[in-house]
Amino acid sequence: MSTAIKENTDMLHKLLDNSGVIVFYLDRKRNILLCNKKAREITGLNDEDVVGKNWLEVLFRDKGSRIKKDMLKAVMDESMKLKREKDFEGVILDKYGNERLISWNLSPVQNEGDQAEGNILIGQDITEAREKTCPSKNIDKTFKEILAGIKEYALYLTNPDGFITYFGMGSEAMLGWSKWDIIFKHAGILHYPGPSGTGLEPILENVRRLGKHETETQLVTKTGEAIPVILTVNRFFDSGGNPSGYIFIAKDITERKKLEYQAFQTEKLAALGQLSAGIAHEINNPLLVISGRAELLKDEKDEQKLKDGLNLIDTQAQRIRRLVDGILKFSRKTAPVFKELDVNEVIELVLPLVCCNVLPGAEIEIKKDFMKNMPLIKGDLYQLQEVFLNLLINAYQSMPEGGTVTISTGNSDDLYAQVRISDTGTGIPAHHLKNIFMPFFSTKNNGTGLGLSISHNIIKSHNGSIEVESGVGKGSTFTVKLPFIQKEVTGGL
Amino acid sequence: MGYKVLVVDDEDEVRSLLDDLLNREGYLSKACATGEAAIELLKKDKFDVVLLDIKLCGTSGLEVLKNIREHHKEIPVVMITGFGYDEDLIAKSKQLGCCGYIGKNMPVSQILSTFKHLVKKAKEKEHHAK
Repeated sequence: MSTAIKENTDMLHKLLDNSGVIVFYLDRKRNILLCNKKAREITGLNDEDVVGKNWLEVLFRDKGSRIKKDMLKAVMDESMKLKREKDFEGVILDKYGNERLISWNLSPVQNEGDQAEGNILIGQDITEAREKTCPSKNIDKTFKEILAGIKEYALYLTNPDGFITYFGMGSEAMLGWSKWDIIFKHAGILHYPGPSGTGLEPILENVRRLGKHETETQLVTKTGEAIPVILTVNRFFDSGGNPSGYIFIAKDITERKKLEYQAFQTEKLAALGQLSAGIAHEINNPLLVISGRAELLKDEKDEQKLKDGLNLIDTQAQRIRRLVDGILKFSRKTAPVFKELDVNEVIELVLPLVCCNVLPGAEIEIKKDFMKNMPLIKGDLYQLQEVFLNLLINAYQSMPEGGTVTISTGNSDDLYAQVRISDTGTGIPAHHLKNIFMPFFSTKNNGTGLGLSISHNIIKSHNGSIEVESGVGKGSTFTVKLPFIQKEVTGGL
Repeated sequence: MGYKVLVVDDEDEVRSLLDDLLNREGYLSKACATGEAAIELLKKDKFDVVLLDIKLCGTSGLEVLKNIREHHKEIPVVMITGFGYDEDLIAKSKQLGCCGYIGKNMPVSQILSTFKHLVKKAKEKEHHAK
């Protein structure tokens, strides 16, 4: 090497080493040909550990980086192909294992024949700069350390407008977003108003009104998966007492939901078992008509009478089909689907199942007092059917000598659909009242003790309530309240 | 044969079927839908046998049976029900004095032969008593 060239090379190295940015020179296959001091410092590696190695393998050593690598490979390929510079941000682990946010600039290098020869990659560590612009810097350091230590809960903060300012490690684990990807984004992306979620705005509105909001809802992960959670949202204030934003704490209840769902299925089948005598009755009657009419038609010569008889048989077969369909739909294993529902219709669907179950000798009258044009609620049809079926079976069973069941629906404070189911049965002793919603508590010989406990859970997961008033000899009244769908408040005077 | 049968069933299709079947078998059948109507008809008319559904709207079949036993001791009553073979119901019906029990889940031919057999037995018993 001539002295002049060596001097030039030394100067170039000095220039690169003192430039304050990370520099990598890569060949076409992304292997490192050269890197500067800053690059060695941040990775904690020497020239001999780096030169000749693939750039992506050197910087993304942790196992979870496959997606990042694939993405970056695609970015680099595109840059080389289009011979165009690319800017992008990415998180790498430094030599201490800390995450550093780097802003990269990638320039393709062509040889004299205009062929792609390699890439120059210049990176700037913007971790501190980004943190400075992040409003969560205002949060007390100790408080931040406490937050960082919470890993079992997804914990995140937003500013008063709902933009995410802090995203804890638990949130990253549960929701799949890295804090760098989500900070400054609107928290609405975690709370979109899906079929069983509420959307963010009603939650914030509630917090503003009541100071706190606690609900069972669903959050959305980065990949669009819905996770059932118990979410608590509070406001927090700066030292001057001005609102600084909202604090969100979400507990993943997927496992609990699974267990609840299994118990729900079991109880549903048990409820159906209790109805089997009534169902048999409802099938045996049309069956008799079908076989009896067929028997009579064997000798029938009159064409019109033949036609009428066959139509009658068809009607009776349809009656059985409808009932069997109802049973199958009811017992089918279905994941809860929240839809807009009219509470009156839900009850009407349950009544045929329970009405045929009157024990002979126990004459039971059903009085219906349904509110017309009831606003809609949001709920799972089969879960709510299960609740009303349970309450009605209980009412029937409490009246072995017969009596009256009164089902009334109405509007409670414009907020809730209210359903009251009253019986004139034996009533519940006061010392049992506090236990009736507990699992496995039963006063019946053949009861599973799960009916009311599951009903209670179902209503709770619908953000509603279920209450009972009862006295021995006075009968019982169960009151279920389910929130109406709140209409969007439209602006304008 | 020519026995006069009172059929009591609250379901229109079942009632008219039983009526048609019994008429075809040579009985003189009359049908009504409620226990109250049956009690009234029994006051006005004379019947040889009653075919009585257990589950009725209003006064239940078992109540009607009780009433018939109190006021028309001589008329045999055959209970019929969609509940099928239910031991409790059979016991209750027998206790109240019915002469037999038919499940609607039985084949039609068996329903008719059972009914015929029960009526025959009841009439023989009645004859012996006289």
